[in-house]
Amino acid sequence: MDTRDTSRRTFLKALSGAAVAAATPLRALTAMAATAAPNDGEFFVFIHAAGGWDVTLWADPRNEKKGLVAPASTENTDTSQVRHWKDAPLDGATRTFEPIRAPRGGQVFGPGIGDLLDMADRLTVVNGLSMNTVSHPDGTAFSATGRHLVGGRAPASSIDTMVANELGREQTFPAVSVQYPSSYVGDDLDRRCVPLVVGSIGTISRTLSRSGIYDSEDDREAVTALLGKEARSLAARSEYPDVMQGMALQYDSLRRMLGSRLQEVFSADGLKKAHPEFKYAARFHGASCVNAAFAVEAMKRNVVRCVSFACGGFDTHASNYRFQAQTQQEMFDMIAALLRTLDATPHPTRASAKLSDHTHILVVSDFCRTPQVNIGGGRDHYPNNSALVVSPRFRGGQVFGKSDPEQLLPLKAKRFSDGERAIAPPDLLATFLAGFGVNARKYMRDGEPVPELLKS
Amino acid sequence: MRSLVRARSLVLGLVLGPVLGCDRPPEVVKPGAPSTLSPSHGVVLEDTTPKQDVRLLPAEAYMRSYLQLFGGLAPVDVQARARGADGAQLFDTWDDYLSALGFPDYRNDLPRGTQTNAIMVATFERLGVALCDRALEHDWKAKPAPPPLKERVVFAFDEPAAPADAKAFAPRFDVLHRTFLGYPAELAPPDRVKNFFELYQGVAKRHAAPGVKSRFSPDEAGWAAVCYGLVRHPEFQFY
Repeated sequence: MDTRDTSRRTFLKALSGAAVAAATPLRALTAMAATAAPNDGEFFVFIHAAGGWDVTLWADPRNEKKGLVAPASTENTDTSQVRHWKDAPLDGATRTFEPIRAPRGGQVFGPGIGDLLDMADRLTVVNGLSMNTVSHPDGTAFSATGRHLVGGRAPASSIDTMVANELGREQTFPAVSVQYPSSYVGDDLDRRCVPLVVGSIGTISRTLSRSGIYDSEDDREAVTALLGKEARSLAARSEYPDVMQGMALQYDSLRRMLGSRLQEVFSADGLKKAHPEFKYAARFHGASCVNAAFAVEAMKRNVVRCVSFACGGFDTHASNYRFQAQTQQEMFDMIAALLRTLDATPHPTRASAKLSDHTHILVVSDFCRTPQVNIGGGRDHYPNNSALVVSPRFRGGQVFGKSDPEQLLPLKAKRFSDGERAIAPPDLLATFLAGFGVNARKYMRDGEPVPELLKS
Repeated sequence: MRSLVRARSLVLGLVLGPVLGCDRPPEVVKPGAPSTLSPSHGVVLEDTTPKQDVRLLPAEAYMRSYLQLFGGLAPVDVQARARGADGAQLFDTWDDYLSALGFPDYRNDLPRGTQTNAIMVATFERLGVALCDRALEHDWKAKPAPPPLKERVVFAFDEPAAPADAKAFAPRFDVLHRTFLGYPAELAPPDRVKNFFELYQGVAKRHAAPGVKSRFSPDEAGWAAVCYGLVRHPEFQFY
């Protein structure tokens, strides 16, 4: 046999092998996409715990001094309002907390978990998320988009935009974003899915309210219809018609929004009356409860696909760390109240289904806080993280991933196609998309789905 | 030997000289008819086709346009004028709409909005309606008499005595078109004047129906609707 032929054949074999290996994540994604359940009628809530939460108080509990880890204690935490805090010995008179095993689900949590403890069988916790950053803007963007900032800007769309673009184009509000780090980046996105970014839900109501003293609803409707026609005419004459076509679609959306009289329902007062089950007077997240109530009401009326909002108060560098556990407890109480409300609310389009059967919640943060307590009595930024998923498409009652017992840094979680490593935000986001049959490669450069997190 | 070579050279010179043309008369080049231009002298037209899609004006730019168009007022004065004191609830405060208009909101850490969305489009409507209604009140309904043309902010033309026909509509529409979009209406796509005239007629007819309550006469309502359409026009917000 000719040696030159042999080497060429060997080279081609190696090349095809490499190609197969390189394509594996993509093929895995495609296969998962093909087997995913139908996704119409699904709703999404994305919550960002802004500031960086202390994972040792809920998802990755630590109550022993080990290595760098100095656990929360009665010296640095106001325990009086933390319902699940049970004293455990630490140093002399100083007490720490007793980790709690969830009665349903079996996971172990810290005392910040609040009312979600009773729903642990529905929770999927991801620990040891490798953040590779301790910057607020960068960690925030990385958690929401799977990419680090480039030149101070998010180089990819956020998860709410991705989901809205896949599943929400026809909704009146594909994505509503209240102080959530939403971004809209890419050429192939539908302009209806630009997140409606507002400072508060009340803005939506005020924006949609109209006075009838001078003109009528029909007059405004005629003007908007004309503008849609003008935008289409300009698009037809344009070398680059995308923006004008997008404007035409947004004029159509406005007509639908005003036609369904949402402004009456979506005022803060209207939402509080309609959903008294949320604790609007809560110290840290009372305002976020209005966002949760909006999410329920908008999903019930089938006018939204994604609602995203931020809950602040987690950036506890100094003595404000005393309230970190309470801040977590209030947020998780709100999520528990949201779940209970969704349980009691029928799905708007699926007969005999509850809204909670088709609502998917993803809670992330910028990063976590240092295992050691600083001289100001607080904790600083640390490149580890945890995330929470509450979704009927995810396996509930499990904790995936782990962190180092002494340094709280992410540990290898599994063998990915690029080797054994810790799970990172792009993997979590890719898994979330794969759960709904969405090919993550369409939106994300990185990330590989983790089938262990999804129901088969 | 040397003399033999010299003699052979002389003979060769005598024989080949006339053959090679040494004694030919000088060539004369006569000017002929000009030929067509060579390709390098052809006219190359400048390529003026747009190389990128239109972009949304920065929020500050269209806000400045609003302020300028509605009387050159400060933001707080425009807010006061749009809100009015008559309980019309046409507008709230700028603060309520900052993020919806695309302004960065540093208190809430919201970035600048560089793309329109349905809420932004709704805000343009809310704001545009308020500004047009107040401008029409100022220009045409001021008491005891409307201001002279040069002091009017938007409707710088006489209100037609009767509902305008197409002939009366066109020059007045042109005034508004130049005001908001910055160029004559006749240069716009061909159907624009016709479309806005139909809008004007439809609104005026609706307001003329019995039982309709409005602070505007049918004709005023028609012109106000034309103003709403131009102040919210895509050409007003994109460049």
